[in-house]
Amino acid sequence: MKAWRRMVAAGGLLAAGWTGASAAEESFDRLEELLTFSGQRTQWRARLSGTVDAEVYAMPRPVPGLIDSASGTLFSPRLSVFLDAQFGPATYLFAQARADRGFDPTDRGGEIRLDEVALRFRPWGGGVTVQAGKFATIVGNWAVRHGSWSNPFITAPAAYEVPTGIWDTDAIRSPNTLLQWSHLRPGLNAATLAAEKSLRVPIIWGPAYSSGVAVAGGFGPWRYAVEAKAGSLASRPDAWLHAREQRHHPTGAARIGYHPNPTWNLGLSASAGSYLREWAPGIPAGYSRGDYEQRVLAVDFAFARRHWQVWAEGFASRFTIPRVGDADVFSYYVEAKYKFGPRLSWAWRWNQQTYGDIVDRTGTRVRWGRDLWRIDAAPCWRFTPHTQFKVQYSYQRGDFDRGPEQHIGAAQFTVRF
Amino acid sequence: MKAWLAALLFAGASGAGLAAATVEGRVALPKTRTTPVVNQRYEIVAKSGVLSTNPPVAVVYLEGDFPAPAAGSVVQLQQKDLAFVPSLLPVQVGTRVEFPNLDDTYHNIFSFSPPKRFDLGRYRSDDRPVPSQVFDVPGLVTLRCDIHEHMRALILVLATPHFAVTDAAGNFRLTGLPAGRYKLKAWVDSRTTHERPVELAAGGILRVEFP
Repeated sequence: MKAWRRMVAAGGLLAAGWTGASAAEESFDRLEELLTFSGQRTQWRARLSGTVDAEVYAMPRPVPGLIDSASGTLFSPRLSVFLDAQFGPATYLFAQARADRGFDPTDRGGEIRLDEVALRFRPWGGGVTVQAGKFATIVGNWAVRHGSWSNPFITAPAAYEVPTGIWDTDAIRSPNTLLQWSHLRPGLNAATLAAEKSLRVPIIWGPAYSSGVAVAGGFGPWRYAVEAKAGSLASRPDAWLHAREQRHHPTGAARIGYHPNPTWNLGLSASAGSYLREWAPGIPAGYSRGDYEQRVLAVDFAFARRHWQVWAEGFASRFTIPRVGDADVFSYYVEAKYKFGPRLSWAWRWNQQTYGDIVDRTGTRVRWGRDLWRIDAAPCWRFTPHTQFKVQYSYQRGDFDRGPEQHIGAAQFTVRF
Repeated sequence: MKAWLAALLFAGASGAGLAAATVEGRVALPKTRTTPVVNQRYEIVAKSGVLSTNPPVAVVYLEGDFPAPAAGSVVQLQQKDLAFVPSLLPVQVGTRVEFPNLDDTYHNIFSFSPPKRFDLGRYRSDDRPVPSQVFDVPGLVTLRCDIHEHMRALILVLATPHFAVTDAAGNFRLTGLPAGRYKLKAWVDSRTTHERPVELAAGGILRVEFP
């Protein structure tokens, strides 16, 4: 009953804080106190927080990235609720639940998911941390800022959202199959493009919240983390919980980071694991899912100083395919953000993705995907410490199905509580 | 003649100093606030831990017509162990506040409060000069960190040189006050400021209890 009252009061304060300006600040602070719980002598403490997002997209058709919409405009609301709980100095639990129109924006109905839940503890009380559950990958540095409040952009970098020609639902049997799935054949109609898009996977699917175990620590300026998880970096959200699928073919990843001071953060990551679903048909006799592996080598860079922040990541991904060989794709981005003051910030990002060659049926070397580059610009205005409005414009150029260039617009209003 | 006047002024000033009034008492404080929780979801290599409780305190100050402050007054508000220290800082109008970062990680202090709106960006403990701001408009300024959402502090900018922060039990003592009639105020939080008219006698000690 007491919790109910807190929730009702929290709803009232959220509504009040939404509208006011200086009164809003106070309302949200009171809301935070209402949603923070602690035990005797503060040995355990928990806090509920979250974001409410309202996003609008204006896109060419077929819609780019992992967005799934029959129309060129899309409204995508989202409620994200976070739980952070600390039990003494060595144990930390966190969870994230979302109510929205799909993990990636879609025009379908609503759904509620538990995207993250993980327990982190320091078994020896020192610098080694163990984490188990369903959580973002340790690879790279984008996962740290992928939430709508901290992400300077509305969409993810290209490596995280541009589908390649790889399907995880079916084994590739020949080079021509891969070329077909990569949509390199001409004359495909919109219905086929849309239907097949949902079968394709990117190099790394968003923050890759797959389930597993991670161990991390540091010594001096060096940081390390290793993880064994249920899905490869390319695996889709449906596969992230299915530990059974990957029991015999878990994905392993490691990152070594150099963090000499708060200004610089450099990292080198590697990951390897099967990208096929357990039930994927078409695996030739004599092969197994373990022979269809995604291997990724990634570098990441971050710089921050006063009002500047710069990040960059590069991914070299290799999909090993029996009877086809290795299909390589390279993707990188550089993004920068500048804060003009407490209210206005502006971010720019350059993305590029290029594909390697495979040998087709006739023995000719052919590129197995469509190269692209994209530039994103996103100003963000913070009305209060709890509300912000972002606009993003993206210009994308490549060998697309409907012409060489695409313009994508998006707007996002976020309330943080 | 000038020497005479100077001697008279000095005598008056030292007489006022000797006969300065004192106000002491107690402010009833709200119950202890909940201790914040640090969000470390994506910092797998991080120092977790239990933050210390920040007990509520109040600021007691004397309101009246006082001379402008001497220029160059500087105080510090530190960032230490992912918290602002102190979490409530009263300053006189015109004071420069420095914000040294004593942690080995970045902080990004900002304020949206109308009396002082600013964003210091990210800076390290060895950055010199230490970033600072001059608070020249009376009012309440809420400080936050753009990186650590649990961090919060208040700067109460006052148009008086006579103020004191209570201890955790609410006790306060203001000394060196000039005799006369004033308003004694106790700022408890942004919604609660108690007020009491007081008449201070030279050399006297007045006891005031705020509910």
